[in-house]
Amino acid sequence: MTTPVEDPPRAGREEYSRTAFGLALAIDARISLPGLGRSPHTAADDPPSHVRLDPDELNRRWEALTTTPLRARELRFGETVLLTVDFAEPAGYLMWADGFGRILISPDGTELLCEPEPGSNGWANILPFQALPLAATIRGLEVMHASGVVLDDGAVLVAGPPGAGKSSLAAALVRAGGQLLSDDAVALQLRDGALIAHAGSTVLQLRASEGERLSADDRAALGRHAGTVGEKQRYANDSTPDPAPLAGLFLLAHSDEQPAVEQLAAVDPFELIASTFNLSVRSPARLQRQLEVVSAIAADKLAHRLRVQPGVNATELAAMIQAHLAVVVA
Amino acid sequence: MREQSADMPTVPQLSDQELLATRVRLPQHVVHRSFVAETVVLNLRTGKYHGLNPTAGRMLEVLDVALTVGDAVPELTNEYGVEREQIERDLLTLTRGLLERELIVATDDDAG
Repeated sequence: MTTPVEDPPRAGREEYSRTAFGLALAIDARISLPGLGRSPHTAADDPPSHVRLDPDELNRRWEALTTTPLRARELRFGETVLLTVDFAEPAGYLMWADGFGRILISPDGTELLCEPEPGSNGWANILPFQALPLAATIRGLEVMHASGVVLDDGAVLVAGPPGAGKSSLAAALVRAGGQLLSDDAVALQLRDGALIAHAGSTVLQLRASEGERLSADDRAALGRHAGTVGEKQRYANDSTPDPAPLAGLFLLAHSDEQPAVEQLAAVDPFELIASTFNLSVRSPARLQRQLEVVSAIAADKLAHRLRVQPGVNATELAAMIQAHLAVVVA
Repeated sequence: MREQSADMPTVPQLSDQELLATRVRLPQHVVHRSFVAETVVLNLRTGKYHGLNPTAGRMLEVLDVALTVGDAVPELTNEYGVEREQIERDLLTLTRGLLERELIVATDDDAG
């Protein structure tokens, strides 16, 4: 599906339309965001969320606050602070990420004002990786920290700790015929009792060494090469799948045994809660929705454990998942 | 009982007999969902999740509809097939824990 979501341009401002995490987006034309969708199917009601490059307005709103902001989230690596989220009415959530800059997200999630860090070429990556999932959470979706692929019209999500191999497995599932929903975060919507997965960013990031092991055809299946970030190669897709019903959530776990996959009849609900993406929004409505989504995953027996040895072949794991799903669905 | 934080408010200390004669209910700011091996109780006011094992989860369900804490004992005794005294002790311990965490409240409703 490639039908764009159109909304009227705002006066004096060039915008283009995309979708991500179940949201319709109107994006400032000066902001380049590859890998976002054009599906007309969104989860949040109108209006779209506007993403604007506007440091002056960001600063005006934040400096006009008369209350002390609350620190909603702080992400550290050792002593180094990597990311913070502060909240204060009426300005909203101010996200700061080291090396990227600041983004102010309005309390209703319909406006994201960006202030890039000077000299940062890749600052906009913070939008699909952190800011848009936060806006989606504010607007009523539950975002899972997972890679996602649509296979046979069903969304297959892979969750696990950093470095567990989520992206590698997603890439293998794409090479097996799937369509990438997202490399890092997928939005879930509970609709009429069913869980629907919405694409995030379809830019896939793979370790350079891993990409080099692939054949040219396999690399082409992942999308066009879109540069390098650190030691990772980026592959961008220009087509994004429509929302799809959740077919399975595979929870990765390290094991010294042979790879194994099993459906979890008694999944630990706290493991599912820990797999949700956003820790900044703690409103009663969000917390209740989080519990309902987790409850639906468990009730529909959509959770599976995938035990893997470090360094195991992702192609084999993808085949295991496909075979497992064929049995479970049957 | 698993919980995210240990900072709990104090509650009036009731004797066993007083507590057995008390009616308790889940307040509006508490929701719970049953899973196969656990019941998750969420306090929307504090934002804290709590985990109950299946037996405690079942006790919570019965407590929420029983006229008094004591009235929940016979049903649970029948259900689990253990001595009444054992059920009563476990139920009182659980009830006190839930009250301390504000996951249930003692009500002023007529307990009959």
